[in-house]
Amino acid sequence: MKGKFGTVVILVVLFGVVASGCIGGQETPETKRTTVELSGDFVKDAVAIGKVLEENGISEVKFSAWGSGDPNSVMRVHGIVEAARRINKIWEENGINVKIIITDKHYAAAFQDAYQEYLSKQPLGQAGDFFVNSYAFLPTLADEGYILEITEYANAYKSVIEDFYPSLIEASKFDGKLYGLPQDTEARPLYIRRDVAAKIGFNLEGIEEKVKNGEFTWGDVYQWAKKAKGSGVAEWGLIHRKGSAHPDLIQFIFAFGGKLYNEESKKLVVDVPAIYKWFYVEWKFAQDGLLPGDIMSWDWAKQIHPAIVEGRTLFDIGGTWYWTEWQTKDYYGKEGTPRPIKPEEVQKWFAYTLFPAGEKGLQPVTLSQPFVWMINSKAGQQNPKYEELEEIYHELAFLMIIKASDPDINAIHSVISAHLPVRKAAAELISDEKWLNDLKSLNLDLDQEVKDNLKDIVATTVHPINAKFLADVSYMLEYTKFAPAHPKYPALADIFKEALDKVLRGDMTPEEGVDYIIQKVNADPELAENVEVIGEIPKDWQFP
Amino acid sequence: MKGEKLRSLSFFLSPMIAMVGIFYLIPLVFTVYISFTKMRNWNTEKYLSEIVGLYNYQRLFHMFQHDPMIRAILLTTVVFVGITLIINVFGGLLLALGTFFINESSASSIRLLWLLPRMSPIAVYSLVWYYFFHGSDIGTLNSILLKLGVVSEPIPWGQITPWGVWSIIIFVNGLVGVSFGMIVFTSALNQIPKELVIAARVDGASAWQISRKILIPMLKWHFLYVLTWQFLSLLTTYPHLFLLVEWDLVNRDYGTTLALYVFNTAFGRGEQDQGLAAAAAVLLSIIGIMGGYVTLKVLQFERMIHEPRGDVE
Repeated sequence: MKGKFGTVVILVVLFGVVASGCIGGQETPETKRTTVELSGDFVKDAVAIGKVLEENGISEVKFSAWGSGDPNSVMRVHGIVEAARRINKIWEENGINVKIIITDKHYAAAFQDAYQEYLSKQPLGQAGDFFVNSYAFLPTLADEGYILEITEYANAYKSVIEDFYPSLIEASKFDGKLYGLPQDTEARPLYIRRDVAAKIGFNLEGIEEKVKNGEFTWGDVYQWAKKAKGSGVAEWGLIHRKGSAHPDLIQFIFAFGGKLYNEESKKLVVDVPAIYKWFYVEWKFAQDGLLPGDIMSWDWAKQIHPAIVEGRTLFDIGGTWYWTEWQTKDYYGKEGTPRPIKPEEVQKWFAYTLFPAGEKGLQPVTLSQPFVWMINSKAGQQNPKYEELEEIYHELAFLMIIKASDPDINAIHSVISAHLPVRKAAAELISDEKWLNDLKSLNLDLDQEVKDNLKDIVATTVHPINAKFLADVSYMLEYTKFAPAHPKYPALADIFKEALDKVLRGDMTPEEGVDYIIQKVNADPELAENVEVIGEIPKDWQFP
Repeated sequence: MKGEKLRSLSFFLSPMIAMVGIFYLIPLVFTVYISFTKMRNWNTEKYLSEIVGLYNYQRLFHMFQHDPMIRAILLTTVVFVGITLIINVFGGLLLALGTFFINESSASSIRLLWLLPRMSPIAVYSLVWYYFFHGSDIGTLNSILLKLGVVSEPIPWGQITPWGVWSIIIFVNGLVGVSFGMIVFTSALNQIPKELVIAARVDGASAWQISRKILIPMLKWHFLYVLTWQFLSLLTTYPHLFLLVEWDLVNRDYGTTLALYVFNTAFGRGEQDQGLAAAAAVLLSIIGIMGGYVTLKVLQFERMIHEPRGDVE
């Protein structure tokens, strides 16, 4: 009995061994995929990525989105939230049981502060997976390995990439490689008060063309500003932005035919003749009382904007985003309690042109500082199996910014924040009246959370007048310049600002201001190494 | 016996020694090391092992030699540290003595009032003074003076160089710093036996005489501590100054001390140059140590720590 039982046990064990050999020995265990080849077909790619995640047991992908800027630019974060919803919808329709969740929606007012925070937290693995900020910071972030290079991914999405304005794609590159997708851009018009102009006989008919053709220059701006002030119609002839001379006031350098960067030597440029002319123009304005000498210490909300919207100046060097900012902020205090101004008032009071040429024979300009969607080089790190699935998380992050660049998302951002669209398809949407009405009533396929966040901004900013404004200023992008995306540029821009402040206050002459810049540059060996000084102060130049 | 004493001393002192080691000595050594590297943008992987020798120090000295702002900055540092230190130390002493002679509930209210600047968030506190001293008619001070007819044009206080600027930065920082001395001196005064004061009162001594003959001599230790601490603090402090300069309330040249200059150069221009900042921190530490040493010498620290003379039979 005992022997029989033993034989049965041995036979069962042997059968088990043989059987397991037959079952397992014929095939190797299936290896799970950890990457997909992007095809350029968005739905197909999203599904493929979703399946890979599902195969690897991932049911939830967590991402965080960091944005910054003016109060109306919240789509810099909500664009990512909406992109997540759209990909989730594709997965749902294709029976894929994975969900993207945006865990952290971080929005800072000052984009420089947001950059500093990203810079310090990225090495610790605590920065956002998606980061929207100025193109100016892209080279440093790319050079340090803090953001993801997306050149190869983008090659599969040529049709989308080609819809972006080429100059903006160029601004998203470092060393010839693509590190982000443009999110928005803007122009910096010269605003002219129509009511003030009418009182001094300044005919604004065709002024945009005259500026475009270089007929109306800064000499003319000076003459009209003088007339406005002299006749007592306006308190000031000109008001402009304050703070770092980047990027607003350096338009003068380009308007006087100067340059800021040498492509060959890869160095920043202190273009002495152009900077001297810039300083001289501003100094002359300030000396003649047409521009406040202490403008650099004026308060934005209590002085600069009220002076413009209340018609206390004829000219203003501003930005496209002013257009809706004036409609959402209480700057107009002429009737007692300050209030925002209505779209009809903005349209009635303000004409807008390119930044005029410095003098006859030169070109008008504008200046853009595109914002860029960037992906953290550690994107997806808060998710399971990151080491193993790093590539798939990165591919998914790329699809997210492709989705966040959808024409309607880009168009919504442009309309509510008065930035310019970065894609041709978005520009077309903005000029579509039906779409605008749908946006006004929020009758769009958008995430409920996004709708809730946009409700108040949409109510005050979506208006045919604002859409027309965006369409009207789009041509300015043909004239746009970019400040150099060089790590040392902010330091140089700061020095420009310090020098200009001294010149405006009358503490320095324009010549002394230029000398001060050169001294400051040479005081720091590292800056001096990255900057070349060209040209001399012109001897017989006159203004106006 | 000696070994036992050492053991018990080690036991009781070890938490403090560990704290000093972890939070002071190691960071100090690390700072000195970083000052010899190319460390920037928080990229430890890339730069922490890239030794550049004295490059950061050379760059710093080059700036000190050639920057057109440097004369104003050094002058500002001396004036700001000197005058604010006097205000902080003597203001604190005066407040402590003043509140010593009045009833406790009024004294507490006064002390709380003087603590407000220190308790307020720096940005909020600085914003208050930004609007108060603003150089246009939106400035509180200017609008009061204009309404009273004292001035016909707003005065750009923060742009009157150098004393207008210095007055603002000294005033704003002095208000914050004075409460530190006040707390230390108040707690010291409360430790002085009341009998001494009562006896002096009985003998007809005035508050001034009691302060001069009894209280102040007994505060020498605390005076030394507050003076040294505040000196080091003022030498390296810049948060309030940073905001007032950043917001363009005060002239940049005469509103910037050495500490702020270094901060702006290393961190304020789009770059995060930890190597340069570490070199500057080392230099400031050396200046601080020298200044502290001089303070201790002048106030005869050694004499204070002599053991009291006992009667020798």
